[in-house]
Amino acid sequence: MAKTLQERRAERQLMIVLLPSLLLLLAFVIYPAIYSVYLSFTNEALTGAAARAPRFVGWRNYTRLFNDAKFWNALFVTFVFVLGSAIIGQFVLGLVSAIALRRRLVFRTLFSSIILLPNAAPEVVAGFMWISMLAGGDHATLSRIVSFFGLPTADWLQVFPLAMIIVVNTWRGIATAMILLTAGLSTIPQEIYEAARMDGATPAQMFRRITLPLMMPTILLYMLISTVSTIAVFGLVYALTRGGPGGATELISIYIYNQSFTAYQLGYGAAVAVIALLVSLMLGIAYVRAAKVEI
Amino acid sequence: MKKTVFGGLCAILLGCTSTFVQAETLRLANHGQAGIDAMKSTVERIEKKLGVKVEVVEYPAPDKDYLSKLLTELGAGNGPDLFSMPSTAAVADMVDAGYLAPITTEINAWDGYKNFYDVAKKLAVSPDGETYVMPYMLGIQEIYYRKDVLEKAGISTGQPKTWDDLIARAEEIKTKTGAYGLLFPAGVSWGSGAFDEGFQHLIVGSKTPQIVTDDGKLDLNGEGVKDVFNVYKTLIDKDLMPVQPLLGPEPWVIPKYELFPAGKLVATTCGSWCYIFDWGRESKNPIPDVTKVVGTWTVPGQTGGQFVLANLAAPWAVNAKSANVELAKKALLEIGSVETQVSYAARIGNIPASKDAASDPEFQKLTELVPIHAAAEKGTFLKQAAGFGTVAEGVARATDALLRKEVDAAGAQKILVDYVKETLGDDAVK
Amino acid sequence: MSVAPPGESANCVRGDLMAYATLSLISIFCAIPFFWLLIASFDGNAQLFLRWPETWTFANYLRVFAKEDGAKWLFNSLFVVGSATFLVMVLSGLGGYALSRTRAWWKLPFLYAILLIRVLPSTALVVPLYKFLLTLNNAEGALLRPIFGSATRDIMRWTGFIDGYLGLILVLATMQLPLSLWIMKTFFDGLPRDYEEAALMDGATMIQRIRRVLVPLALPGLAASGLFAFMSAWGDFLLPLILLSSPELQTLPLGLFRAFLRINEIDYGLLTALAFIYLVPAVVAFGFARRFLVQTFSGGVKG
Repeated sequence: MAKTLQERRAERQLMIVLLPSLLLLLAFVIYPAIYSVYLSFTNEALTGAAARAPRFVGWRNYTRLFNDAKFWNALFVTFVFVLGSAIIGQFVLGLVSAIALRRRLVFRTLFSSIILLPNAAPEVVAGFMWISMLAGGDHATLSRIVSFFGLPTADWLQVFPLAMIIVVNTWRGIATAMILLTAGLSTIPQEIYEAARMDGATPAQMFRRITLPLMMPTILLYMLISTVSTIAVFGLVYALTRGGPGGATELISIYIYNQSFTAYQLGYGAAVAVIALLVSLMLGIAYVRAAKVEI
Repeated sequence: MKKTVFGGLCAILLGCTSTFVQAETLRLANHGQAGIDAMKSTVERIEKKLGVKVEVVEYPAPDKDYLSKLLTELGAGNGPDLFSMPSTAAVADMVDAGYLAPITTEINAWDGYKNFYDVAKKLAVSPDGETYVMPYMLGIQEIYYRKDVLEKAGISTGQPKTWDDLIARAEEIKTKTGAYGLLFPAGVSWGSGAFDEGFQHLIVGSKTPQIVTDDGKLDLNGEGVKDVFNVYKTLIDKDLMPVQPLLGPEPWVIPKYELFPAGKLVATTCGSWCYIFDWGRESKNPIPDVTKVVGTWTVPGQTGGQFVLANLAAPWAVNAKSANVELAKKALLEIGSVETQVSYAARIGNIPASKDAASDPEFQKLTELVPIHAAAEKGTFLKQAAGFGTVAEGVARATDALLRKEVDAAGAQKILVDYVKETLGDDAVK
Repeated sequence: MSVAPPGESANCVRGDLMAYATLSLISIFCAIPFFWLLIASFDGNAQLFLRWPETWTFANYLRVFAKEDGAKWLFNSLFVVGSATFLVMVLSGLGGYALSRTRAWWKLPFLYAILLIRVLPSTALVVPLYKFLLTLNNAEGALLRPIFGSATRDIMRWTGFIDGYLGLILVLATMQLPLSLWIMKTFFDGLPRDYEEAALMDGATMIQRIRRVLVPLALPGLAASGLFAFMSAWGDFLLPLILLSSPELQTLPLGLFRAFLRINEIDYGLLTALAFIYLVPAVVAFGFARRFLVQTFSGGVKG
């Protein structure tokens, strides 16, 4: 089908306004990413003999990676972390808040402002605050709360490290889920609820039969965005546990950091990053297939 | 047409840069406010003597991130002209990477170097026989103990002769006073301290006192390594050293600043700075009469011998790719002066590497440090090699697992060996 | 907005009570960690753990500005992140519009590519990025030095790619672009095309269409995308750490890490005061943009 002259001109104009973004992304994200792929085939390091004369090592980094129990551990930890914090924690609490906030409550603005607060805290600051909450046995704020209720205390980051970072990341992300899901809820026409109520549907039935199905596109979009950004979470968890104890919270992002900046093995770190990218690429495609989101 | 003109212009401009003479500037990267304060007078002296402008850049981050930044810059060929390094363990690797300019000729021709302690000079020599760092300050470490607590409880304050002797003493402290008997830094959150302030003390007195073979490989499968981890294991299992605080952030705060001053921890490894910062006049929680109340033991060897650990403290080096290597080397010699050493000693609590410091009136005021300085020559040390940074991280991980009671000594050794092999490749380890 | 219809008041009251209860619990969960920060920053002898101060004092805050370079760090952070945010708003407004309206085949692959590339942590990119920026920086230096001579250093402080404002601003902006482009693209999807088509019929040029029609309509979306860009750039620590060296350019997160470097012991008073100062602009930004958020996203998910 031949395009009209005007259409073609319009397309060209659209390209021009997109161009600056494209150039920046190419220069500062795509190029370094491609360079990382190249690095993953070398033994490039930040220090030591390999830094002076890096060599091409073929697939060695990748074969090493598949035999590396710590890499698989990192992949598993990341999976549990994403599932626990983004897909369950943030989603459930965000949805509950979004639904509750649709009511005409007296402190509505206050509630929603407080829920937005954790999202405003920079990672480093959030890290400090949670160290004070969790670390140090009986001194920790959480221990004091728990012992106030007569329950046993623990050294939280030592005993339940993975659960704790899931709680912390949930805390940080409720707001994003709430915003997106509120937006999704607001697109459901009131008339459908009215009609269902006339038919004598209970709130639970209405939620299951109306809210959930109509929200599905929003939910899947949220899942896609939150999964991708949760895989990339680094600073918050690094500030809290540095991946420890004993690798229990070593997310893939922390594993990459430790390889690149603790062990200074840039080549190997890049190989891990490439695999992480591939895995999330597959995840992303799966989501898109499942969602059939029209974008 | 336009393009050609522009291209030509560019070419001319680029051509000019090579002939353009710039005012000479030296960039110094330093770490931590105390270090910057200590360098202030030195910087002025360098500017005056060499007729250059000195720009001091503070890299604001914890040791590890400081090193990451420095290495990123050096790797890209854009590092500062002179820099201090937070850990000596990184030096050999940086030499291998070609980041450091050799200063062997300059430093040996320099008058001031003649009066440096031999131990400092030896520590500064890299495996290839060249010197790359200015070894101007020494960290002298041994065991510090609460004389008053021991005397009150009727426990001997005599020098322990062997490891068993040392552990028996710790047990006696535990049973007689209820306090923790002995601390060796351990665990990941203590960073390089687990290696620098803990492991090294013991390994130098073990059956395999060096962990580098003659051909530069790391020898970590030795019996000594396992025995050292066994000492940790014993201290942890018998509850002789505080474990919980070491697993949290800032692991040194509770044992060193709270338990030790309160007499609830009776002995710990520490360095000369402890008399000033940890428990002395600069401390938040000082021990009154600290030099009388707190005594020192050397670290005994496994079956005898006495060891005082000597380290280079935050040595300075010259960037091999500096635009002004020769000028930077001259500035480095200034940093080696007694005046700078004393200035650092006053602010950081480390020991000047030059014997001449003893006659410096400013140094004589630091009465806590004078006797340690006088005995510095006796220091022992580990022969350095490439990969020491990795070994330090491996030791931190191994002792962390010990703290969490997940492994025995052999298991800890396996963690160390595996980590080093994974990181540096199988052929780096003997 | 309300779900509850008139009548069925018993049901409604019970629902309201449940809503209050759940929201209170969630709010407590969200707010608790902040108490330590707030209280410790006014404590003369702050500790890592929550405690009621024996003496309340402003000394920690005074120290940030008097003894440390707090004002300079704050200015640098605001300037760098503010400029990056502005840049992101302009670029994502234009680019999001283009992505929404274009029918090019690469639209979908492009959108997913920029979203998925976000999983690459900046730690994986930082070394190649540094090398690339250094090349640009050296080229710029070589160009400027013959013209400006010894003033080059001062100019490069603003326009340099390494250890200069410009480089950090561009990189920070780029890192936020993917999400912002997405937000703006979905936002424009929700805007009916009628207005532009009318303008197009009137013979308005691209620029005129953007200025008269799209900018006013796009403001809520721009506020939302700007907010997310601001928050994320504001919190970034690694990029300023690696890209900046000069004391004149230090930003708040770097200053925060200075508080760690007192001799062995962390100065919690200084740390919490700085952290609080660091927190405030982000909260204020949220306060401004909050009401635009839902508006923006409801446009998007409808489309």
